[in-house]
Amino acid sequence: MMQIFTKTNIDFIGKRKYAFLFSGIMVVLGVAAFMMILLGKANLGIDFTGGAEIIGSFEKPVSVDQVRDALSEIGQGEAKIQALRGEGFVNSFIIKLKGSIENALPETTWTADGEMTINMVAAEGDQLGDLLKTAISKHFPDNKFTLDSTNNISSKVGEKLTANAIKAVIFALLGILIYIWIRFDFRFGVAATAATFHDVLAVLGIYFILNRELSLLVITALLTLAGYSLTDTVVVFDRIRENLKNFRKRSDFASTINLSINSVLSRTAITSFTVLIVVLTLLFFGGKVLFDFALALTIGIFIGTYSSWFVASPILVEWENRSPKRVK
Amino acid sequence: MRRGQLTWIVVITAAILVSIVLLYPTVEFYSQDRELLKENDPKNYYSLKDKALRLGLDLQGGVHMVLQVKDPKGGGIGGDVQDQVLEKIRIRVDKFGITEPEIVKSGIDQIVVDLPGFADIKAAKELIGNTAQLRFHLLRSADECQATMESIDSVLVMALADKAGDATTAKTTGKEADTSGQDVGDIFGKDVAGDSVPGSLEEEDFEKAHPFSALLDRWIGGWWEITMENYAVVRQYLEKDEVKAVIPPNYLVTFGTRPVKRGDRQFQSLYFLNSNIEMTGEPIISVKESFDQFRRPVVNFELDSDGARTFSRVTGQHIDEALAIVIDGLVESAPNIESRINKRGQITMGGDATISDAYLLSVLLKAGALPADVQLLQSTVVGPALGQDSINRGKLASVIGLLLVVIFMGVYYRVSGLIADGALILNVLFLLAFMVIPGVNATLTMPGIAGIVLTVGMAVDSNVLMFERIREEMRTGKTIRASIDAGYDRALLTIIDSHVTTLITAFILFIFGSGPIRGFAVTLSMGVFLSLFTALFITKAILDMRKKYKSLSI
Repeated sequence: MMQIFTKTNIDFIGKRKYAFLFSGIMVVLGVAAFMMILLGKANLGIDFTGGAEIIGSFEKPVSVDQVRDALSEIGQGEAKIQALRGEGFVNSFIIKLKGSIENALPETTWTADGEMTINMVAAEGDQLGDLLKTAISKHFPDNKFTLDSTNNISSKVGEKLTANAIKAVIFALLGILIYIWIRFDFRFGVAATAATFHDVLAVLGIYFILNRELSLLVITALLTLAGYSLTDTVVVFDRIRENLKNFRKRSDFASTINLSINSVLSRTAITSFTVLIVVLTLLFFGGKVLFDFALALTIGIFIGTYSSWFVASPILVEWENRSPKRVK
Repeated sequence: MRRGQLTWIVVITAAILVSIVLLYPTVEFYSQDRELLKENDPKNYYSLKDKALRLGLDLQGGVHMVLQVKDPKGGGIGGDVQDQVLEKIRIRVDKFGITEPEIVKSGIDQIVVDLPGFADIKAAKELIGNTAQLRFHLLRSADECQATMESIDSVLVMALADKAGDATTAKTTGKEADTSGQDVGDIFGKDVAGDSVPGSLEEEDFEKAHPFSALLDRWIGGWWEITMENYAVVRQYLEKDEVKAVIPPNYLVTFGTRPVKRGDRQFQSLYFLNSNIEMTGEPIISVKESFDQFRRPVVNFELDSDGARTFSRVTGQHIDEALAIVIDGLVESAPNIESRINKRGQITMGGDATISDAYLLSVLLKAGALPADVQLLQSTVVGPALGQDSINRGKLASVIGLLLVVIFMGVYYRVSGLIADGALILNVLFLLAFMVIPGVNATLTMPGIAGIVLTVGMAVDSNVLMFERIREEMRTGKTIRASIDAGYDRALLTIIDSHVTTLITAFILFIFGSGPIRGFAVTLSMGVFLSLFTALFITKAILDMRKKYKSLSI
């Protein structure tokens, strides 16, 4: 029989002080990241900010710097430019512009007394994509630039999307709380929801520190992670519930929980490992579309596994220690 | 063999056979040259395509647009307006011949248009945005044009003289436009300075006295042509309030629908029309794009009897005059009326129109105008290169992910691991088959592939839970039979409890997500759901058969 963990007896609960400290920092980071999102200062994807993303190919080789020069002419040298490799992509680049370009398009207005002013108005969404293409074609007159794909989003889309994303997270957490509450009891429900919330915030915080872009797919990854991390927590809780049937004294509570975590340790490790395998596969082979999604999940698997050991279960212990009368 | 086992084998075999039958068209469809098949055997092509797994826009390429329906008066949008706009767009898209479009409502005032396999965003935008209101107007005579132009010139002279004192403003704003790299701003800055045609003093004087007329290049027996450089300025002049004030109320000053090429230069046409609408496109009952005797693209139309009467009267009264065909406020062309026209008419396409322009116009005329304004919020075009790249990467990631998990399970749990592997592979097979069940017809997107890959990693969890519990029971010294029974019973509740949580989040993703995200939610939730089935039904059944063994490879 091949085994990673034989009979283990790790004191997870005893280390809860350190865990709470670490998790506290992660949650604070996550909340900070969330505030930054609300303030519009986070690195949000064009799904949320609006903007344009174009993928196109040149006839002849061109360097990223040359493309940057072309965009500098319209004041967009800061745009994200990436050379793209792969089957079907030769001399290809992906260029991304966020938000809108202020003062990009002329709009003439006349006052009643004949005063003429040319106001430069912002270009956004579709106009942005067109501006990028025009600027590049103009800069490289002898090197044909053909678009393969474009994604132009008006900044008006973002609001609805942000609202939907926040709603989805709230409903997911609520659904989880209610389900665990029904299947276990309120304590377990709160502990599981807190751990899940912790996971989502921690990954958000790490993403924020790494300054990686928060796209719609990353939010999807966060929600998937919530579901996955909860699976882990439920497995541990299930065993705790089972073992609590033999629970006698309050002083035994912590050791019962430790015992439960240790009993399911190898299951947690193996499942986390198989999920990690596939997520890493997506990370390395999934291409640019799925990269950030897979990265969020990779981080999330570690955090989620950690949280069912060091966050969800210790909360139960703290709750038990603080409750006036013995539960169960 | 016991009866229960026989039933089990029959059910599993049937499920596998049904899955294979369901998936066969998918394999057949995607493993051959589809373009070739479409040409040679279209009937077979569409029948296969119908039964094969549908690929999302992000994989097969296509145009995705999100439209905001707007009340032109600025009020709220009623549900029926949204429905009407959707219906009109559907008619236009259908008539344009785009296959399998998906046009759905989103929220209370948005419409999502998906055109798979279509990559021409320009045509798509025109199809959605144009209102295609057809009207017929008479042209103003040369004298009437001249008079109007003179009054425009005189008010402009005054306006420009006033402004000269404040020239610095114009100059700096002109500069700003320059740095933006915009043609319009560029030329404008130059023209305001009045040196577009460097030449003699007389010319300069003429320009000073006739700032408007000087911009018009030539008279084409009924309308003016302007160079593209001057076009922007002419437009700006015409939008000026005092210029609008001197244009008589029954005049309509407008431009052509598209520029015309003469030599290597492009020109835009300027028309002075009688604002009186002689006839609208309302009575048109059929349209068809075609060529006239000069091989120019045209759109032939047929009118109902009321329309024919009106048209016959209008054309009869104005023989030898030009009749402007105005589409959405712009003049398509202004052919001479040679004789009285009754039922059948012809729209000569203006500028450098091609037959596809004529086709687009005919489609728009057929479908009629949109009942409200629409604004393009998002347009996504997935080109063939990106789509193919995603398919390749998705395939690779799925195969590698599945292989690694299968190898790991086999190494770690040995024979039991191989059983779990069998269940896992069936899990993926059933998942794909589920997606092509008629009536389900789920769409596979790139995030959907991620969902399948993720399912592969997560689906083994049910087996792992069971195996670990059985191992635990065996360690306490129980018999194989007792260990399997106890392990299964105790793991069952955990398996169900833990998977419901994933289903809850996937369900919420399905509700709040759109497009590709929904694809992810579908594959993930179905995958997890099926993994319950394969673990509890397949792995468990095989374990039961192994109860009689003396030792268990687990």
